[in-house]
Amino acid sequence: MTGSVTAAQTKPLAPPAAVVRIGGLSKSFDGRLVLDDVHLTIERGRIVSVIGQSGGGKTTLMRCVNLLERPDRGTVEVAGELVHQDGRTVCRDLARLRRTVGMVFQRFNLFPHLTAVENVVLAQRKAGIPESEALERAVALLRRVGVAHRALALPDQLSGGEQQRVAIARALALKPELLLFDEPTSSLDPEATREVLSVMRELAADGMTMLLVTHELPFAHEVSDHVVFVDGGRIVEEGRPEDVLGAPSEARTREFLASYGSAS
Amino acid sequence: MSDLAGLFEVPWSDYRPDLLDALRRTLSYTVVSFVGAVLLGLGMALLRLSRAWPLRAVAAVYTELFKNIPLLAIIFLAYFGLASAGIRLDVFTAGCLSLVVFYAAYLSEIFRSAISGVHSGQTEAGQALGLGRAGIFGHIVLPQAVRQALPGTNTMLVDLLKSTSLLVTVSAAELMSEGRLITSATFRALEVYLVISAIYFALCYPLSQLLLLLERKVRAGVPLSPWRRRRLRAARALLAQDPPATAVGADVKAGAV
Repeated sequence: MTGSVTAAQTKPLAPPAAVVRIGGLSKSFDGRLVLDDVHLTIERGRIVSVIGQSGGGKTTLMRCVNLLERPDRGTVEVAGELVHQDGRTVCRDLARLRRTVGMVFQRFNLFPHLTAVENVVLAQRKAGIPESEALERAVALLRRVGVAHRALALPDQLSGGEQQRVAIARALALKPELLLFDEPTSSLDPEATREVLSVMRELAADGMTMLLVTHELPFAHEVSDHVVFVDGGRIVEEGRPEDVLGAPSEARTREFLASYGSAS
Repeated sequence: MSDLAGLFEVPWSDYRPDLLDALRRTLSYTVVSFVGAVLLGLGMALLRLSRAWPLRAVAAVYTELFKNIPLLAIIFLAYFGLASAGIRLDVFTAGCLSLVVFYAAYLSEIFRSAISGVHSGQTEAGQALGLGRAGIFGHIVLPQAVRQALPGTNTMLVDLLKSTSLLVTVSAAELMSEGRLITSATFRALEVYLVISAIYFALCYPLSQLLLLLERKVRAGVPLSPWRRRRLRAARALLAQDPPATAVGADVKAGAV
């Protein structure tokens, strides 16, 4: 179950290059193994969803991609470059790696002292993009996610759905090759969830490569090319969404889906 | 009326130049000591948050030491104590040094709790955006910590201004010392110290009100720096322009689910 598996072949036109290649990845916290020999490859333009119970290692797996967590063993390759190997960061330019990978957090993590538009500008300026260009891109991105009318508001003046859409704009500002979504709708009410999922659907349609940790199983079913079920730090089952979510072969997967009431 | 007139018999106009001089000295002590205390306090706060335990220990010992000694004892140590050990500091240096080490201890506590109070998700968001340690501290953590630390810091500034009066004990020629001089020349202690108190009040009350106003503005996110104002003005101008026809966000709410 842990062999290197590529994302489902539903988009034959996309170039086959892998944006992420994770091999034999293990990670423990205080002696407790949270990821155990995990292999995962994400090809360009693919959308991979990771599902599973809280505490099962989904989020840790995602955070290993941009090295917010450092794995103890195994390899992490991003955009063709080996960035981490057996507990050592081998990537020379960590900042550049992280600019290749945008991340959207469960709790938004917008900078509360800056307006929405400044939130989107900050990292661009630190990456050396000129002020006028950074501002233009920020405004364009806020328009794209539908919150341009709130561009000059502070985060705590925004609704949850607006905050998360600003966070998506911020993650897109550096033109990443991959977007990570860590339970992006778990803190949101149903209306805000719809807003955010709608933006993500647009991104998916535009061909963005995405890794998504989610409890929104119907949404995972709808947009994903590949679904990974993680439990107890291991990949228990993976494959096309209609297989993993519709006709799971593992008992543990069926048990998990049953606890959700619906397998979409 | 005659009682009130009898209360004020000191020829104040004769003392005006001396008082202005003393006032200037009080303000010099306050400004120099406060700037020094903020810098030392920030340094100590950063040491307290350092990953290396010896640095943390140094900062902890410093803070506990100076927080638990009276300021007056520190002033005597700096001026008389060091002099008897062969280190002769002039009164301005000794006075500022005392105020700096005393208030830095308190400020370091305020700064430390403000910095560690910034949610760890903020640092992570900065990391995920490829910002380095300095960028994360300068652009994300520090501005939020300043907002948090402002009320306590402002209280300390007003307190420091009032505490410069303790320097009367080493004849620092500030307001309180001047008051003592005038008293010994006129023997009108009540009148003189009422006037001196009124001057302190006239300094401290507007200062604390001004700082309160600053706190409110910072909390409301009012852009105080010119470059931030310029950025927001430019953003406003861009937003006023018509969006390009390809904007997809406008129909997000209406988007099918």
